[in-house]
Amino acid sequence: MKTLRYILLRLLQAVPVLLGVSIVTFALMVATPGDPIRLLVGDRATPETIALIRDRYGLDDPILAQYVTYLRNLLQGDLGASLRYRVPVSQLIAQHYPVTLFLVIYTIVLTLPPVIALSVWSARRQSGVADQVIRLLGVVGLAVPVFWLALLFARFFGVTLGWFPVSGFGNSFGEHLLHLFLPALSTMIWVVPILVRNLRSALLDEMNRDYVLTGLSKGLGERQVFRTHVFPNSILPTLNLFAVIVAYLLGGSVIVETVYAVPGMGKLMVESILARDYFVVQGATLVFALTTILVMLAVDLLSTAIDPRLSP
Amino acid sequence: MKLRMTLAATAAMAVLATGLAAQDTIRIASPNQVTVLDPIISAAAGNIEAYGQLYARLLRKDADGTLQPGLAESWTISDDGLTYTFKLREAQFSDGTEITAEDAAFSLNRVSKDENSAYPAGFAPVKEFTALDDKTLQLTLEHPSAPMLSNLEIFNAGIVSKDDVETRGEAAFTTDPVASGPYMVREWKPNDRLSLTANPHFWREGLPKIANVELIEVSDDNARATMAMAGEIDVNRGVPWAQVAEVDGTEGVSVRLEPSTVLYLVMPNHSKPPFDNLTVRKAAAMALNREAITKAVTLGNATVANSTLSNALNFHDPNVQPPAYDPEGARKLLQEAGLEGTEVTLMITPSAEQIATLLKAQWDAVGLPTTVERVDAGLWWSKLADADYQVTTSWYYNETEDPDLAVRWALCGTCGSDSYYTFYNNEEVNALTDAALREQDEAKRAELYSRIQQITLEDLAQIPLYYSPFSNAYSDRVKGLSLTPSLQWTLEEAEISG
Repeated sequence: MKTLRYILLRLLQAVPVLLGVSIVTFALMVATPGDPIRLLVGDRATPETIALIRDRYGLDDPILAQYVTYLRNLLQGDLGASLRYRVPVSQLIAQHYPVTLFLVIYTIVLTLPPVIALSVWSARRQSGVADQVIRLLGVVGLAVPVFWLALLFARFFGVTLGWFPVSGFGNSFGEHLLHLFLPALSTMIWVVPILVRNLRSALLDEMNRDYVLTGLSKGLGERQVFRTHVFPNSILPTLNLFAVIVAYLLGGSVIVETVYAVPGMGKLMVESILARDYFVVQGATLVFALTTILVMLAVDLLSTAIDPRLSP
Repeated sequence: MKLRMTLAATAAMAVLATGLAAQDTIRIASPNQVTVLDPIISAAAGNIEAYGQLYARLLRKDADGTLQPGLAESWTISDDGLTYTFKLREAQFSDGTEITAEDAAFSLNRVSKDENSAYPAGFAPVKEFTALDDKTLQLTLEHPSAPMLSNLEIFNAGIVSKDDVETRGEAAFTTDPVASGPYMVREWKPNDRLSLTANPHFWREGLPKIANVELIEVSDDNARATMAMAGEIDVNRGVPWAQVAEVDGTEGVSVRLEPSTVLYLVMPNHSKPPFDNLTVRKAAAMALNREAITKAVTLGNATVANSTLSNALNFHDPNVQPPAYDPEGARKLLQEAGLEGTEVTLMITPSAEQIATLLKAQWDAVGLPTTVERVDAGLWWSKLADADYQVTTSWYYNETEDPDLAVRWALCGTCGSDSYYTFYNNEEVNALTDAALREQDEAKRAELYSRIQQITLEDLAQIPLYYSPFSNAYSDRVKGLSLTPSLQWTLEEAEISG
């Protein structure tokens, strides 16, 4: 019951956050020079045609009036229509969002096992050869530009070896796994080192706590102490970092989706900004913000489950 | 048991079906987006390329570019050149309804007169299209127009279903428009791909030969190149010059350079200093080693331009030349006029980075210190149309081989687009533009267009750089496909092997 009330409260708190996000996005889009209609009708349209269509879309109304209209529609669950495609923004999001979500979850699923294995290995033999190598590789992974690496992967695994597709999303679950493997792998390369560094240092901290000594002295095996005490205690800071990284993954989808021609939210976002497709940018930003809020909430709930002392 | 057998059979059929579909599908990746399926709404490249597949026109062009009867079987033109009478053939829309003169009149009046029509320039002389009976269409003009027939072949002159558009309104074009061309929409995923399937009612019997077409949007040049090399697409629209050798060297893929009407040019703003001054324009032109620029940017794949009109257009004059490369002369010209050291701001979009570097170096060298201002395409168009720039560089193409529309777009100051928004306005050129449109005699038209090219080069309305072919990569599976100068894929007669 208490948890339920907590969730409701958090969701309620999300409302002003989303409102703030929508105001900032709206202001930024309005302040960005460039006319969406010119891009819409193409090079050869006359100024008269452009003026007419601007007027029809209400783009010449006062900015505040435009925002109020937008907000009123939003409250009724209407995200508006794309200026470019003349289809509802919700349809575009429904088409692109699952792709990015799949990619993010896929990346997470691929990321977790190596993160746990590497940090445990590294921490348990601190300053050993394995530790040194893992830390060195971590720095390399962080330093490599994703864009460049993604290109290399596409050329090597896609063209030279022909193991994986280099583009698209596919039509079935199995195809999704295959098509998004290289994008997920490219993203993993910079996510894994961050998490490993974090988890490793948390593990080392916890391993030097007094309770470890207590556990050992009362006869618990080293493995048991590590598994039931050290590890759960170390996971919390990493979990919080992980929430932030998920938000980054959503944003970072822009890069891998471009290199691998994945039709997801990142692509939708970039092309909509370039085309000044105001309402799509608005809608996509809101969806990104909402996802981030939900991930944060989920992580907080998970943290409470792991450490009841954190419960509200 | 029975269930299992049915399942097995279904699975086998599914495999068979996908196998067949894969062989019969051609995948074309292009950086140009399809944003709208209504042929009159947009004149952006991605849409132009799709319209041609969905909507048939009264006339069509064959492989060597000659006009042939399309939905119109035959036509007659009155002696005064003001009345055209078209006899339409028996043909149907993709929904099986008949294509009547009523539909044709509706579609063509729409593109000529509708306030939403993005590019009505080719139909400016039109008074009215009327259906005389079911199969007879009459076009009356306000004044004669020599390129009228060829303008009826361009992308936005496609025939749409009057019934459908009147019933569904704008919605008729958002998902599954009624098509009259070789293909119809199977599924449209905006911002991703347009999937087409053969129109079973297409008037040319036995065509198209390829059952399905996927027009896939891939903005990144590298991604398209990789996809082509990995065999995930059959056609790569627009291979950057730097990648031509690599893509062409891939087994099973070849890059073809196809003739286009694309002209790359430097556009001075005539409404503002410093480029309102002919001396500055002339010095800027003399400062440029256009041959070297062409070679550096296109790796020798394009031809240096000699005129303000593309060499692929009719009546292109091969005997004119802009001022020759002469940096010394350019500097002297500026010195004599006391203009040495005039600061210049060059506005570019990211795609022109390379050209901009070369322009800057050469203008800097003759005493026109240049600053490069980078903007994205959206801002570029706004600033261009508002005359809020000094000089920029861009390109344009023409939809037909007739130069009328090109001249109206880029050189005529009173034809709606202020000479491609360079605000060049020469009354003699404006008058010649109109005279050349009305003139029915080929030789006389050639003279008029030659005169236009001479004047605009003397005035340096623009500084032409080079004539660029299209560079597209094709899988060896594809036969008979090319991109025409009017931005149309010849998918109708193309073939693909397994």
